[in-house]
Amino acid sequence: MRHACLRILRKPSIAAFMLLCSAFAAPLAAQHNGARPAAAASPPEDGQWTMPSRDYASTRYSGLNQITRSNVRNLKLAFTFDTLNRKGHEAAPIVVGNMMYLTTPYPNHVWALDLSKGGRAVWVFRPHPAPASQGIACCDVVNRGAMYANGRLFFTTLDGEVFAIDAKSGHQVWRNKIGDISKGETITMSPLVAEGKVLVGNSGGEMGVRGWLAALDAGTGRLAWKAYSTGPDKDVLIGPSFKPYYASDRGADLGVHTWPAEAWKIGGGTVWGWISYDPQLKMIYYGTGNPGPWNAQQRPGDNKWTTGVFARDIATGQARWFYQSSPHDLFDHDDINEQVLLDMPIHGRMTPVLVRPGRNGYMYVIDRRTGQVYSAEAYGFINSMDGVDLATGRVRMVKEKAPKEGRVIRNICPTASGVKDWNPSAFSPRTGLLYVPHENMCMDEGVFEANYIAGTPYVGADVKMYAGPGGHRGVFTAWDPVRAKPVWEIKESLPLWSGALATGGDVVFYGTMDGWFKAIDASAAGGGRLLWQVRLDSGIISQPVSYRGPDGRQYVAVVTGVGGWAGAIVSAQLDPRDPTAALGMVNAMRDLPGRTKPGGTLYVFALPK
Amino acid sequence: MSSPFRNSFLPRALPSLHAGRGRGWVRLSKRRFASLAHPPLAPPLQGGGFIALAFLLALAGCDREQRDMNGQPKAETAAFVPRGDPRSAEYENNAFHIAQGQKWFGWFNCSGCHFHGGGGMGPPLMDDQWRYGGRMEDIVASILYGRPNGMPDWRNKITEQQAWELAAYVKSLSAHPRQDALSARADEMSNTEPQTLQERQKVVPETKAQPSGEEN
Amino acid sequence: MRRRGASLMLLPLLALAGCGGIQTIGGREGREAALIDDLFTLFCIVTGLFFAAVMAFLFAAYWRRGGHRADRMPDEGATAPRDRGLRIALFAWTAAVIGGLMGLAVASFLTDRSLAYSTAAGRPVVSIELIGNQWWWEARYHFPDPSQNFRTANEIHLPTGSAAMITLKANDVIHSFWVPNLAGKQDLIPGRVTDIVLTPTKVGRYRAQCAEYCGLQHAHMALDVTVDTPADYARWLAAQTRPAAAPTTPQAIAGYRFFMTRQCSACHAVAGTPAGAGVGPDLTHLMSRRTIAAGTLPNGTGPLHAWIADPQGVKPGANMPYIGLDADELHNVVAYLETLK
Repeated sequence: MRHACLRILRKPSIAAFMLLCSAFAAPLAAQHNGARPAAAASPPEDGQWTMPSRDYASTRYSGLNQITRSNVRNLKLAFTFDTLNRKGHEAAPIVVGNMMYLTTPYPNHVWALDLSKGGRAVWVFRPHPAPASQGIACCDVVNRGAMYANGRLFFTTLDGEVFAIDAKSGHQVWRNKIGDISKGETITMSPLVAEGKVLVGNSGGEMGVRGWLAALDAGTGRLAWKAYSTGPDKDVLIGPSFKPYYASDRGADLGVHTWPAEAWKIGGGTVWGWISYDPQLKMIYYGTGNPGPWNAQQRPGDNKWTTGVFARDIATGQARWFYQSSPHDLFDHDDINEQVLLDMPIHGRMTPVLVRPGRNGYMYVIDRRTGQVYSAEAYGFINSMDGVDLATGRVRMVKEKAPKEGRVIRNICPTASGVKDWNPSAFSPRTGLLYVPHENMCMDEGVFEANYIAGTPYVGADVKMYAGPGGHRGVFTAWDPVRAKPVWEIKESLPLWSGALATGGDVVFYGTMDGWFKAIDASAAGGGRLLWQVRLDSGIISQPVSYRGPDGRQYVAVVTGVGGWAGAIVSAQLDPRDPTAALGMVNAMRDLPGRTKPGGTLYVFALPK
Repeated sequence: MSSPFRNSFLPRALPSLHAGRGRGWVRLSKRRFASLAHPPLAPPLQGGGFIALAFLLALAGCDREQRDMNGQPKAETAAFVPRGDPRSAEYENNAFHIAQGQKWFGWFNCSGCHFHGGGGMGPPLMDDQWRYGGRMEDIVASILYGRPNGMPDWRNKITEQQAWELAAYVKSLSAHPRQDALSARADEMSNTEPQTLQERQKVVPETKAQPSGEEN
Repeated sequence: MRRRGASLMLLPLLALAGCGGIQTIGGREGREAALIDDLFTLFCIVTGLFFAAVMAFLFAAYWRRGGHRADRMPDEGATAPRDRGLRIALFAWTAAVIGGLMGLAVASFLTDRSLAYSTAAGRPVVSIELIGNQWWWEARYHFPDPSQNFRTANEIHLPTGSAAMITLKANDVIHSFWVPNLAGKQDLIPGRVTDIVLTPTKVGRYRAQCAEYCGLQHAHMALDVTVDTPADYARWLAAQTRPAAAPTTPQAIAGYRFFMTRQCSACHAVAGTPAGAGVGPDLTHLMSRRTIAAGTLPNGTGPLHAWIADPQGVKPGANMPYIGLDADELHNVVAYLETLK
């Protein structure tokens, strides 16, 4: 740790961080692995939370350290706010100065709360998305949050529209409809704003849409570029600067030739997850979703460029490299999870990498510059794959677990929702550990020919999910990205669908689907000790955040409101007698209606004055 | 479409009655020519017919005041199939139509949203709650004309007969249908039980509410 | 009485009518069929010889024992184990039976190996996935470059001299695939994958027929098999791989609009258009096929009208529904379909 601190000391931007280092260097000295967030993408703590991922490096780490391991048990409720919405709340509250902004699921209202007045609502923005969009949102009508930049708030609506509103007044600056619900396109993701561009992708991988990521001009909302995830190179924005590390990604028009004729036009690869941005390399990193339909026998080939991670130039959108986690994806393993931009020692040299807990269950450490995979170790139970071949970059599939038409293949682990779904992990530079909220589930899957009718589901699979080995459905893992192994794990009865939050006081927070909001000892030595927990009105599937309030105190905020794919059984009152309901998730969640109820309330906690 | 039932099914569309008759296209053309033949026009007006003509012209204004004097107030919803449609009794609880409906349910991706009755993107169909009414006519209206919160309209994508068969199947998921009309085999793969084995009482969660904090 | 006897004699002749033409057992237009036919011929000859020998013995015994003892008591002296000639004959007969059976077994084994050789490495292989539905066939051609893959229905084309590996699947009930001119039968079983290899040797047109009773229209479930020269086959492949051209005449354009916005596109696919449904036959190159509705009707303007206007009249029970098009719509749709060459 001392070495890390010394290194960090040379960078003046992290001078504040130095104080923390010296305070805790002694107890942690033996453990620190040398990993730290990419400096350019992770500005120093300013007490705000302007984007769901906290910073471009996607650390979800707040440097505030008033709440510590020793006093976290004194946390008291500061205020609450009811969003009046009872669907799944996945969004992170956004805190800018004295204001907090909350986005709700459909109908995608944006609430502005004045933190200096105890969280009183100042305005609400109602975008009125098309009601029909509710019928094509695969997994509840969620929204993953807004992003603040330059006095404006950027957010998306379920019916495929991007809004920029004035953060002070709540007046609309521009709007741009970029998704078409008649094709099955929705938008649930949180936009990322960088270098004057608003980056937004579409959802609808279960509806036979063609995935894309669009960059809009932040000032006007006009389309700057649009990069498709399938099809000819010119649509995918693959040009001379595209230099993938692995041979299987090289070649002309692979987005056409790795599909049956025409299939790429309805082939999925939607972009609905997280984008990270490296201001130094001027590159964005994001993952593409599953190929459609789920029935892989309908789409022989590698199905490029789905289920992989793209690095693109932010100004032009031109692809730099691509790595495919699941070529010819068999299990709906959308690769949209967060990529945490870290600098860490690889073979003794500090290397710029991105660390991403893949949906397929492997923790990828990939070189940010080239796309080379340095390590890919399982962070959950996997039996449908047998490791990643680092020489070719390809994951080794287990033949017996591959779904076949007309059959039911049993005990496929992980499920279609993966070892980890969209819910983001957090990285603490103090411990060097990544805190990953994830799942431990398996499934039976039978596939059949899916019929494509525009605007209707295009899946072709009957799925039934259930708890994995051990009987627990959720796991909270502290992962050492340098040593590529878990440090400790917390077993949770229900799958974890909430994001994680790491703080400077060495406390990590997450929520469970039955409404417990938990504070855990972040340290490796702590072994995942539960420090504090509180039961809230509804299950938590949102992203907790921490900020410095107008009174200078550190606050922790979380929104309840169970829903999403796993929680739709409660928020949409699905019927557990049909095990295949909600793509098989209902079977795994049949006890949830007895453990929580629909909700939608913001809870803000702080230490007593 | 001028009238929702312009293409309504005459009995001739039923395979059993229609088997082997063939040459349908010839008959169809004839029917069309028949409809083209208008009734002969009235003889030209003569002499004092101008007064009559004036009367006739005045009559042209009548339709702006036209109303249904004996009708009940109609529901606000646009999707409406009148109650008491004879097809309701014909399709409901009919084994063949339920089985056909089950097939269409998979073919036309109903199962993509409603799965095998438990719901997902769309609401569950096997429970006892109906947002837009649970009679056969209401279900057919939901299928053919769609509903505002996401149900697409299938008017031009499937035939009316298929809609009625789908309704028969959908109805059989939740109601207490005749057991001998149900399919003893689930069409989908073995992840679901056949309908005849499904319990049909109200949902009771398996476990009671309990805090989950103890695992740590 | 005599008349009936004569007509009974005619029955086998009637069965012979099945021999010859586009669908015949004993056809030798495929390597596999020829091998099986050879084996069958060998079996016929060998078993025929033995049958003749057995008959000869039977008659010999009949003549030998005929009407000797009037009191019908056992003739002790007649059975003579000591009869040397008979003993040798018995041994010879046993040896002949064993030898014959062994010979047939070896011949069967060799034929089987020879059939398996069709797909041995290094030989050009056409890969086709054939799916049985009530009551039509879907064929999917697979290539190493999946973007060359295409679908067709109720017809397959094969080149002469190449082994075609056909994997067989069924969507609903058990069907059976049999092109008697080219090879033996293989069942299509839901939930299982079976396969058969065809190596056609003679250019021609053959007919396959579902050979396992599969429901109401089992009889109307034929598959049109065309064997081309490799050059013709390559031309056919190139044509099939092309997406459908956009319609040009006003009538065909009107038909296209109807097709894309109405019931047709909920079941049928036309490559190159928004219609991508897969539960009905792919219609991208409909007009290149000889028949429609799985051999129920010849292809052409009139039959297409009949089929679309009233499918249940033509093929009762088929999944193609009666839509209720008016005459203009019908003419438009047929005009559009006729552009799908």
